[in-house]
Amino acid sequence: MGPPPPSHRPRKKRKTPTAPGSNNNLILDTGDGKQSPAFPLVSFLWAARAGVSQWLILPLTLMAVGLFRWAVSLWGYSGFEVPPMHGDFEAQRHWMEITTHLPIFKWYLYDLQYWGLDYPPLTAYHSWLLGKIGSAVDPAWFALDDSRGFEHPDLKIYMRATVVVSEYLIYVPAVVTFLRRYTRMHGVHAWSASIALVAILLQPATILIDHGHFQYNTVMLGLMVASLDAILAGRMLWACIFFVGALGFKQMALYYAPVMFAYLLGVCVFPRIRFLRLVNIALVTLAAFALLFAPLVFGAMSLEARKEFASVTQPPLLQSLPITLDKNSVAYAVLFQLTQTVHRIFPFARGLFEDKVANAWCAIHTFYKLHRFEASLLQRASLGATLASIIVPCGIIFRHPPRFASPSSLVLRFLGILLVHEKSVLLPLLPMTLSLAGDGGLNKENRAWVGWANVLGSWTMYPLLKREELRVPYIVMTLLWAYLMGLPPLSLETYRSRSSSEDPNSQFELNIFTKLLHIIFYALMIGWHVGEAFVPPPPGKPDLWVVLNALIGAGGFGIAYLWCMWKLVTQCCQSNRRASEEENKKKQQ
Amino acid sequence: MAEVYPSLAQCAIVAGALKVLLFPAYKSTDFEVHRNWLAITHSLPIQEWYYEKTSEWTLDYPPFFAAFEWVMSQAAAYVDPAMLVVKNLGYDSWETIYFQRATVIFTELVLVYALSRFVKSALFASKQAAHVASLSILLSPGLFIIDHIHFQYNGFMYGILILSIVLAREQSKLLSAIVFAALLCFKHIYLYLSLAYFVYLLRAYCLDPKNVLRPRFWNIIKLGTCVVGIFAMAFGPFVQWGQILQLKDRLFPFSRGLCHAYWAPNIWAMYSFADRALIPLAPRLGLSVNSEALNSVTRGLVGDTSFAILPEISSQQTFLLTFLFQLVPLVKLWFQPDWDTFVGALTLCGYASFLFGWHVHEKAVLLIIIPFSLIALKDRRHFSAFRPLAVAGHVSLFPLLFTAAEFPLKTVYTVFWLILFLFVFDRVAPVPERPRIFVFDRLSLLYLTFAIPLIIYCSLLHQLIFGFERLQFLPLMFMSSYSALGVVGSWIGFMVVYFTA
Repeated sequence: MGPPPPSHRPRKKRKTPTAPGSNNNLILDTGDGKQSPAFPLVSFLWAARAGVSQWLILPLTLMAVGLFRWAVSLWGYSGFEVPPMHGDFEAQRHWMEITTHLPIFKWYLYDLQYWGLDYPPLTAYHSWLLGKIGSAVDPAWFALDDSRGFEHPDLKIYMRATVVVSEYLIYVPAVVTFLRRYTRMHGVHAWSASIALVAILLQPATILIDHGHFQYNTVMLGLMVASLDAILAGRMLWACIFFVGALGFKQMALYYAPVMFAYLLGVCVFPRIRFLRLVNIALVTLAAFALLFAPLVFGAMSLEARKEFASVTQPPLLQSLPITLDKNSVAYAVLFQLTQTVHRIFPFARGLFEDKVANAWCAIHTFYKLHRFEASLLQRASLGATLASIIVPCGIIFRHPPRFASPSSLVLRFLGILLVHEKSVLLPLLPMTLSLAGDGGLNKENRAWVGWANVLGSWTMYPLLKREELRVPYIVMTLLWAYLMGLPPLSLETYRSRSSSEDPNSQFELNIFTKLLHIIFYALMIGWHVGEAFVPPPPGKPDLWVVLNALIGAGGFGIAYLWCMWKLVTQCCQSNRRASEEENKKKQQ
Repeated sequence: MAEVYPSLAQCAIVAGALKVLLFPAYKSTDFEVHRNWLAITHSLPIQEWYYEKTSEWTLDYPPFFAAFEWVMSQAAAYVDPAMLVVKNLGYDSWETIYFQRATVIFTELVLVYALSRFVKSALFASKQAAHVASLSILLSPGLFIIDHIHFQYNGFMYGILILSIVLAREQSKLLSAIVFAALLCFKHIYLYLSLAYFVYLLRAYCLDPKNVLRPRFWNIIKLGTCVVGIFAMAFGPFVQWGQILQLKDRLFPFSRGLCHAYWAPNIWAMYSFADRALIPLAPRLGLSVNSEALNSVTRGLVGDTSFAILPEISSQQTFLLTFLFQLVPLVKLWFQPDWDTFVGALTLCGYASFLFGWHVHEKAVLLIIIPFSLIALKDRRHFSAFRPLAVAGHVSLFPLLFTAAEFPLKTVYTVFWLILFLFVFDRVAPVPERPRIFVFDRLSLLYLTFAIPLIIYCSLLHQLIFGFERLQFLPLMFMSSYSALGVVGSWIGFMVVYFTA
């Protein structure tokens, strides 16, 4: 008889965490046996390198970054004292007003000229909840119609607090759990993970837009991170649900959709076709969408709603449907509601670019006026170009789903959206910044690139932030982040070669081309700020500086896109090579 | 020994970033006070500085501070000349706010410099502790709340004080005395600490260390000339113009009441708490109730508090008490005039004046916390006396900021600081030579655990239960009494440590 089978399954071997900082070169050896931190953020967590309980570090980190968020929120917001339309702050407040006072079927119909609801249902529900709580504090804040343009310090505090609370309930836990799983998978030391967490949570662009300009992007981003976390954990169905949540909160998450789609499809096809999994994923996604729209649909079924729908003009989408229905039937009401919602959420009637923003379209427009083309043609061209830019990464992700080593890093490396709205720069910045937590994520090369993209990202927002008197928070938050990460314009340390031949980390030194490129861009940004501040634009071109900002930004993001693509491809090759080596080993045995 | 990270400069930069972001935060009337002083010093001849009374916030700091305002006003003229007009009461343009807030951050560099001198002066073995202690002072929630939100120049003032204390350690007691004399001419609240300086300098500098009866005349002459010189520089011109009595009236306004608008957590807060508690019992005990006073305290806000049952307290009585309790630690300083004892005596003088002083403002708690921080890490006994003070002293500052927007700032920052530094202090503080007093430790732990529910009750639950209007004074009184308990407890604890060390 052979030995009895072991009574328990041996625990899955975790990769043993390496010594602190060893794979991230966080600690510099100054030569005389002393060690020093590689960049200022490391110094702040220096005392924790020997390992301090997460129960201490995590609350302190969250409190510290929370203080910065709240301090930024003391400043002005979008549309403050700018009647008649105000800005995003008023839009969000208005949605709280209409969702709490109107029956659900009127949400997407009510006075569309004044900030009509044009975000997906989850935002509407979120607004409803916040509106209910806020009305309990002071009903005047959200009184129907009377509260338009309401500006009271208390209301500002309440609204600011809702952003912080929403972020701390969704984005922060998602990022924390994601990082924990991600760093464990990569065998990254907890100390290095803590450093990455601070860097991620202090991302200037996100803070400035959400807590300065006023939006709830972090809710959407948080759901997206939760979805990534579920992918890491191998819970594909949860990934679908969270992703639908992100999509249902803000349609901007649609830019992530092709990658998610390619990835989830890839999981079902490689290494072998798993049909059942595909069906499950499809069903869960559909169910999640159904749940998302259920309150709207039920709301549309009432008699009152049907009367209302019969009397107003049909949404264009419904007009284009080949079927005709009785205007008083339930089916018509439901269909009306859905098409109206979709019509509001995807306003193809809007122009290609809202303002001067850093995307390729705007860049082209400066040289070749696009107005001569029809809007529909432009929309198609935009869609085509966006698709083209994501087809390659999607293909790679589809072909190489989670088989080896680091599936997530593949997803994370993804960046490739031609930006349509200046705030969508947050979308590619999120996964790029999350990659700081990966294996070697804090090494010079990755830090330089991610930092550069982040600084560039918040720099392209400057024209927007300037309008809202957010110059000081912009300067402070961007420079603070650059300082903590040891980046220009405050430090050239990252770009200084200190490699010796025996240094194992010398492979992470930046090559001369990268250095030159980054330095040029930093110089351009500084030069732009100086010019913008002191040189008035020539009379014929009042938007000179804004357009220049957009042009430089578009160029930079193009380069960042190419870099991410390059990393994606090389990582893919590496993981393939590693896999085939392992297979060979197995064969030899 | 390796460098300690983060360095003072790194912390100053990051804290500076946060402080710049606080520009639009709530600012108290002290902002207008300082703007008014900028205007007075800039637009009037020196002879009128202490007579000008267009604003109710007349100049009531000593001449050096007025000169400091004058220097700043030279720069302010380039930023926004309108803030320098005496008649522009309550003027707060964006430029004015940027300018004044920036001067607070900028002058705090004196504190950074003083702290770096302190770390350098520390002995090799205690370098890490000194570094941690100076970080705790630099990031102190007290300075954060009072200077950068409420608005004052304490960072600058305490920077000078610490510089003076450090100079005393580096064997240049003369320089230390000069700096302290100059500090007194900036802000006269430091007179409370002057007895400790007097005794220390007399014993360690003017008299022979081995023989008390042998004075060192050369030292006495040097010290006397320098200190008198400093005071002559500050007050001489005003004596010349015959304005010194006016200055005295401005600097020492005795017409104010025993307790300040908000109750500083001292003996008198406990005294009035006891007074309030006795009111329902008075008929049964057969005590006479002063019915006028009944309404006075319940207002809980600005006004002179008077007592319903317990006897009134006069300013002479408070001075006598303060003086007596300052003398006690000075006796030890006289017999053991070394630097550690000196800082301990300074701390105890701060305690005595804070606990028994007349019209003490809760901001004065920094007078205890900051000198104490310098020696809190001497060993664990010192630290355990410091702990309740750190909690009580900072929590007692909360009522200074009552606006909703600043509530998260003050609480989160203070809790952050308390968790971080109490934890780090706990790791760094060395084991004492003498055993600790067990009971005292447990009591202080019990005290700490009460802090969080109390803060939650006072800032949230109370309003939920009683609304904003009813029993408004209750949370204030709870906080004040709780903090008073902590300060008094840590005072007694430190007395024991001081005399047994």
